[in-house]
Amino acid sequence: MTSNLHQASFRDPSGFVFWRDGMLFRQVNRIYQKDYDCLIRSGLYSSLVRDGLMVGHEETQEPPELSELAYRVLKPETVSFISYPYEWCFSQLRDAALLTLRIQRKALEHGMTLKDASAYNIQFFGYQPILIDTLSFEEYREGEPWVAYRQFCQHFLAPLALMAYTDVRLSQLLRVYLDGIPLDLASRLLPWKTRLSLGLATHIHLHASAQKRYAGEKISTAARGKMGKMALLGLIDSLEAAIRSLSWKPRGTEWADYYRETNYSDQAFEDKKQRVEEFVSHVHPSMVWDLGANTGIFSRIASGQGAKTIAFDIDPAAVELNYRECVRAKETNLLPLVLDLTNPSPGLGWANAERQALVERGKADMVLALALVHHLAISNNVPFQRIADYFSQMGEWLVVEFVPKDDSQVQRLLASRKDIFTEYHKQSFERAFNEVYEIRADHPISFSGRILYLMQRRQ
Amino acid sequence: MKILVSGFTWVYLDPGSGSFILQILLAALLGGAYAVKVYWKKIKGLFIRSSSQEDKERINADREHDE
Repeated sequence: MTSNLHQASFRDPSGFVFWRDGMLFRQVNRIYQKDYDCLIRSGLYSSLVRDGLMVGHEETQEPPELSELAYRVLKPETVSFISYPYEWCFSQLRDAALLTLRIQRKALEHGMTLKDASAYNIQFFGYQPILIDTLSFEEYREGEPWVAYRQFCQHFLAPLALMAYTDVRLSQLLRVYLDGIPLDLASRLLPWKTRLSLGLATHIHLHASAQKRYAGEKISTAARGKMGKMALLGLIDSLEAAIRSLSWKPRGTEWADYYRETNYSDQAFEDKKQRVEEFVSHVHPSMVWDLGANTGIFSRIASGQGAKTIAFDIDPAAVELNYRECVRAKETNLLPLVLDLTNPSPGLGWANAERQALVERGKADMVLALALVHHLAISNNVPFQRIADYFSQMGEWLVVEFVPKDDSQVQRLLASRKDIFTEYHKQSFERAFNEVYEIRADHPISFSGRILYLMQRRQ
Repeated sequence: MKILVSGFTWVYLDPGSGSFILQILLAALLGGAYAVKVYWKKIKGLFIRSSSQEDKERINADREHDE
C-alpha cells in the first residue's frame, strides 16, 4: 500500500486529501466533526450535489491516513484534469465566481456559510464549474460577517475587474499572487472610472482603504456579532451584481480570427480534418491534449469521439470563444485553457508543490500539435529535438503537423527577422522526432506543402 | 473607529481586520438595500400576478363573449 498526502492540502485543519494506491481520498478530522455532520444533516450536501454544484462523495471504511485526527474517510468524485485560475479565460473565472456566490447563498439557506472562497476550490467538468472542497463550510452564526469576503474579492472580483477594465492578460497576476490579487494593487491598476461603479468602489477601492486603515486592529466579539443575516445576504447580492456587471469581449487579439485568415484552401483544411479524425479513431485515446488549439475545431474531433480533451491556447480571446461554444453546446468532454507553451504553468506555492506544473497533473494518451511547431521552432528558437522531448513527456501518441519554410505562415514569422534557421526542413524535423518517436504514418496535406504525422513514443 | 478586543474566535483564514470592519460598517446599508430589493420584488410580483390574473379573467370573459 502506497499513500501520500496531497501537497496542496495542508492549510485547513478540517481535513486533507491523500492518494492511496492511485485513488484519491479525503480525511475529515474530528475537529470538523460538528460542521461535517451539519453539512450532511442540514440537507446542504445533498442539495449541492443534486444541483451539480459540488462533487459528491462516498463515506468509506478505508483506514485513515492520520488516524489520531480522523473522523471520516471520504472517497470523492474526481475531475479528469486539475486546472488553475491563471489558466482560465475571463468567462471561466466569472462563472466560477458566480458559482461560489450561489453556493454561499444556498449554504446560508441551510444554516451554514462558506469559510473559504478560494478559486482553487473550483474545477471544471467541461463547461461546468464545480466545488471540489467538501470541507469549505461551517455553521453560520447569526451576526458574523463573511470570513471569506477578502478572499473572494482577491480571488475573483479583483482579477475579473482588472481583466475587464485594464487588460485581459492581467489574469496572469494570479500566477504571482497565489492567494489572489492584493486589493491595494488592484485598486492602483484599475482606471479611475471604476470608482463610479458602486460594486467596485465598495468591494475593491473602499475595501483596500479599509484594509490599510484597520490593519492589525483587533475586533471585539460584540462588534463581530453586528452583521445581521439580511446584511450578509445584501453583501452576497452586492458582490453578485458587481461580478455580473463585468464583461469582456474577445476582439483585436492575435489569433481570434485565425481561421478566417488562414492561408490554406478549404480542401486542404478538410483533408487535414479528415486525417486527424482517422488518426484519433485509430488510437482511440481517452485523454487528448490539443496544444495551440485556437478555438477548438480540431479538439472537437477528439472530444466528439469521446476523449476527454484539453484545448490549450496562448490567446485568451481564442480560449474565451472556445469556452463560450462549450457552454452553448453544453460540452462536457472539452476544457479550453490558456497556456503559453513556451513558459508552461510551473510548480508554485509552498516548496513549489502546492500548484503543480503542467506535466505533473496527468498524462495525455494523445497530443495534438497542429500548425504549432513552426511557432516554437522559429518564433521561440526551440530546436526540434527539445520540442520532441517535451511533447513526449506529455503523452504516448502524437499527431504533429510540419509546416515547410516556403509556407506563407512561416514566411510571415520570418518577415521581420534574419533567417538563421538553416536546419528548419522536413528531413531534420523527422530525424529529431525519430529519436524519441516512431513515425507510424505520414500524410502530405493536399493542396499545401504541409505534412501530418502520427507518431508513437519509443519505449 | 476603535473596536476593542474581548474574546476572539479562531478562524483558519485570516479575514483581515479591514475586511471584517468594512462589512460591519456597511451592514446597515447592505441589509437595507437588500431588504428594499426583496420587498420591491414581492410587491412587483403581486402586481404582475394580479395583472396576469386580470388578463386571464379578461381572456375568459372574451371567450365567453365570443361563445
